[in-house]
Amino acid sequence: MNAVAILYLLVAVVTLACAYGVVVAPKLMHSALWLGATFVGMAALFVLLDAEFLAAAQILIYVGAITTMILFGIMLSDIRDLRAPGEGPWWRRLSRLVLSPRRGLLPLLASAGFALALWGIARHAPWPAEAPPPSPDVTGSIGQVLFTDYALPFEVASVLLLVALVGAVVLSMREGVENR
Amino acid sequence: MIPLSWVVTTSAILFGLGLYGALSLRNAVRILMCIELMLNSVNLNLVAFSRYLHPEQPRGLVLAIFIMTVAAAEAAVGLAIFLTIARNRTDIDVDNIRLLKG
Amino acid sequence: MVQLAWLVPLLPGLSALVLAFWGKRLARDGDWLGIGAVALAWLLSLGVLADVAWRGAEGSVGLEWARFAAAPGQAARSLALGFQVDALAAVMLVVVTSVSLAVHVFSVGYMEGDARYKRYYAMLSFFTFAMLGLVLADNLLLLFIFWELVGLASYALIGHYYERPDARYASMKAFLTTRVGDVAMFVGILLLYRHVGSFAFRDIFAAIEQGVIPAPSLALAAVLLFGGAVGKSAQLPLHVWLPDAMAGPTPVSALIHAATMVAAGVYLVARAYGIFAPAPQAMQVVAWIGGLTAIFAATLALVREDIKQVLAYSTVSQLGYMMMGLGLGAYTAGFFHLTTHAFFKALLFLASGSVIHALHHVQDMHRMGGLLRKMPVTGATWLVGAAALAGIPPFAGFWSKDEILLAAYRSATPALYWIGAAAAVLTAFYVTRATWLVFFGRPRDPHLFEHAHESPIVMTGPLVALAVPAALIGFWNSPLADHAFSHLVFFGEAHELEPSLTVTGLAVGGALVGVLVALAIYAWRVVSPAAVIRAAGPLYTLLKRKYYVDELYHWLFVQGTVALARLCAWFDQVVVDGLVNAVARFTQGLSEGSQLVDQHVIDGAVNLAASGTVAAGNQLRRAQVGYVQAYALTLFVSVVVGLIIFTMGG
Repeated sequence: MNAVAILYLLVAVVTLACAYGVVVAPKLMHSALWLGATFVGMAALFVLLDAEFLAAAQILIYVGAITTMILFGIMLSDIRDLRAPGEGPWWRRLSRLVLSPRRGLLPLLASAGFALALWGIARHAPWPAEAPPPSPDVTGSIGQVLFTDYALPFEVASVLLLVALVGAVVLSMREGVENR
Repeated sequence: MIPLSWVVTTSAILFGLGLYGALSLRNAVRILMCIELMLNSVNLNLVAFSRYLHPEQPRGLVLAIFIMTVAAAEAAVGLAIFLTIARNRTDIDVDNIRLLKG
Repeated sequence: MVQLAWLVPLLPGLSALVLAFWGKRLARDGDWLGIGAVALAWLLSLGVLADVAWRGAEGSVGLEWARFAAAPGQAARSLALGFQVDALAAVMLVVVTSVSLAVHVFSVGYMEGDARYKRYYAMLSFFTFAMLGLVLADNLLLLFIFWELVGLASYALIGHYYERPDARYASMKAFLTTRVGDVAMFVGILLLYRHVGSFAFRDIFAAIEQGVIPAPSLALAAVLLFGGAVGKSAQLPLHVWLPDAMAGPTPVSALIHAATMVAAGVYLVARAYGIFAPAPQAMQVVAWIGGLTAIFAATLALVREDIKQVLAYSTVSQLGYMMMGLGLGAYTAGFFHLTTHAFFKALLFLASGSVIHALHHVQDMHRMGGLLRKMPVTGATWLVGAAALAGIPPFAGFWSKDEILLAAYRSATPALYWIGAAAAVLTAFYVTRATWLVFFGRPRDPHLFEHAHESPIVMTGPLVALAVPAALIGFWNSPLADHAFSHLVFFGEAHELEPSLTVTGLAVGGALVGVLVALAIYAWRVVSPAAVIRAAGPLYTLLKRKYYVDELYHWLFVQGTVALARLCAWFDQVVVDGLVNAVARFTQGLSEGSQLVDQHVIDGAVNLAASGTVAAGNQLRRAQVGYVQAYALTLFVSVVVGLIIFTMGG
C-alpha cells in the first residue's frame, strides 16, 4: 500500500459511484451528468496508470464530445423520459426487480454473475507482482505504433468516422428537406 | 504501485453496472450511456495491461484509441437514430419498438 | 537578396489569393494589386540576379515534408521540399517577372471592359506564382507540382472566353495533350526516385556521378523526363495544342504560350542537365526532336493567315532551336536563346495584341496592311521584335541563334546545323511576310483601316519597355560584353566556342535572303503570291493543312478508338452473341426436358421442404419476442458460454 494505490482506490470508488448514478438516476438529464463525471474519473484513473495521452483523449472525446452530444440530444429533442428505475420507495423497487424477470432479475443475475466471475479471476490469476518501469515517452511510442503497424486500421477508423458523420446527418435530416 | 487485480476488479464492477443498465433500462438514451460505460471499462483493462505487461510497446493504448473512435461513431449514429424515432413516436421506449417481433 | 528569393513567387501567389476571394470588392477589380505584386517580385528578382551575378551568391531553403519509416534492409526516406537559387534560376526569375509585369500592365488596356476581368487577373497572378515556384524548385517533386499548376493556369486562361466553343476545345486539347507528356515525366521521376531515394536535384546528380544508376535506366529516365518537356514546350509530336491555344486572350499568349510556360520544358531540361548530360542517347533524342521541330514548325508558319498562328508556329520553331542547343551540349546557348526569345516573342505577341485590339479582334493578316502610319509605336516596336526573331544583327535573336548554330556546326552531327540554318531562312521569310502584310503596303480592308487607332499608353508602354531588351539583351553574350552570360550560366565549366565566320556569315546571309525573298514576293511583286502557291501545288496544301497532323491524330486516336469499338461490337454481335445463343438454345432444350422431371419430382420435394420450413418457423417465431434487450441478454449469455467452452477446451 503506497500513496498511489490509496489514491487509485479513492478515485476508483468515486468513479464507480458516479457510474451507479448513471444507471439509477431518476432523471435522464442527471443520468447524463453522472456519465460525464464518470468519464472524468476514468481519465484520472488513466493518469494514475501512466497513460496521460489517453487521459487527455478521454476528456476530449468522451467528456467534450460524447457527453455534450448526449446532453444536446436530450435537450434539443422532445425525448420524453420514461419511468425512471429509481422511482418509488425501496420495497416497491425491490418487488419490481424480483417480479419482472425480463426487466429485473435476469439482467441483475447476468451482470452480477459476470462481474463476480471476473473478480474471482482477477483475484486468483497469477498477475506479475511488480510493474516494469514506465516507458519514458508513452505518447511518442503511441504515435510510432499508430503510424507504422496500425496505419491501415488508423485510416479505416477515419473512414468509419466519416461514414458515421454522414450517416448521422442523413438520419437526423427531416424528410423532404431536400425538396425545399 | 497499484495491484493489477484492483484495476481488473474496478473494470469488472463498471462493466457489470453498464451491463445491468443496458439489459434492464427502457430508455434508449440510457442504454446508449450504459454501453459507453462498458466500453470505458474495457479501455481501463487495456490501459492497465498495456502498462503492466508491455510498457515499451503501447499496443493496448492504441487499441483503446480505436475503441474511443468506435464509441464516438456509435454515439453519433445512435443519437441520430433516437432523434428520428422520437420525432415519429414521441418516446423512445425500447419495449415499444418491436419491429423485430416474429 | 538571395535569402529573400522565396518572396518572389509568394507575392503573386498572395495577390492571386486575394484577387480570387476579394477581387470584386477592390477598386478596378484589383488589377493594381496584381500589377503591384508582380512589380515588387520583378524588383526582387533583379536584386537576386545582381547578387548572383556579382557576388556569386547562391542559396536554398527547404523543409522536410514527410518522413517514412525505414523498411527492413533500406535506409529511411524522406520527402523534402525546397527552393534553390543559382544563376539559371536567377536569370529565369528575371525573365518571367519582366514578361509577366509587361503583360500585367498591357492587359489593363487590352482586357478593359471584359466580363471576367477579376478572374483574368487572378489567374494571371496565379500563373506567375506557379511559374516562379517551378523555377525555384530544388527537387523534381516540387517542380512537378508547380508544373501541373502552371498547366492548370494555362487551361483556365486559354478557356477565358469559354462561351466560344473553339476556346473550350482548345483549353481541353492543351490540357490533355500536355498530360500525355506529363505522364511520361512522372514515370521518369519515379524511376529516378527508385534508384536514388530522393527527389532533390542535388542528390540525383550526386548519385549519377557516383554511378548508382545503371546507364540504360539513366537514359530511359532522361528520355521520359524529356517527354514532359515535349508536351509543355510543344515539341514534335505533341505540338498540336499550342497553335490552338491562341484562342486565349493575346496577352495570355504572350505570357504563357510564348515567353514563359512553354519555355518551362526547356528550363526543365536545363535544370535537370545533370541527368541528360551523362546520357548521350537521350541527348541525341533531345537534339533531333528539337531540330526537327524547328524546321517543321517554321515551314508551317509560312502559310498561316492568322497573325497569332504565325507567331504560335514561330514559337514552336524557336523552342525547337532551344531544345536542339541543349541536346547538342550547348547548355549556355540553348538557355540564352530562351532568355532572348522570351523578350522578343513576348514583344511580338503584345504588338500583335495591340493590332488586334485596334482592329476590333480581326486576326486575318490579309485584311490588314499599311498600319504603320496609323500605329507608329506598335509598328516600330514590332519591327524591333521581328528583326530580333529574324536574326538580323545586332538584335537579340541574332546573337543567341548564332550560338546555337555554331554549336551545331561544331558538333558531331552537321546535319542538324543545316536543318537549323534552313529554319533560320524560313524564319526570316515568314516574319517579313507577316510584317509586310500587317504594317506595310496598301490597306486591304479600308473600313477596318479607317477605324484603326494607336493603342493607349498603357499598352504601348510595355511594348516600348520590352523593345529595349529585345534589341539589346543579345549583347550580354556577345564578344562586346566579353561573353558575360557564358560565365554566369554554364554547366560543368564555362567555355566559349571558337567563333566561326562561316556560320555567322551564313546565318546573316540566310536571314537576308529570307527577308529579301519575302519582300520580293509581297512588296515588289516580282512574282505574285498566288503564282507561288500555284507552283508549290500539293506542297502548299500540305502546309496549309499542317501536314495533316491533326487529321492524323483524329484518325489515329479518335477514329481508331471508334474503329476498335466497332470491331468489339462486331465481335460481340457475331461471335459472342452466336455462342450465347447456341448455349441458350441448348439450355432451352435441356430445360424443357428437365421441366418434366421438375414438375413431378423436384416440386414435390421442394414443397415438402417449404411447408416443413413454414411449420418450423411458426414454432421458432415464438422465440422472437421483439424485445431488443432480450436479444442482448441472449447474445451476452451466449458469448459467456462460448468463452467458457473455449477456455475449458483450450
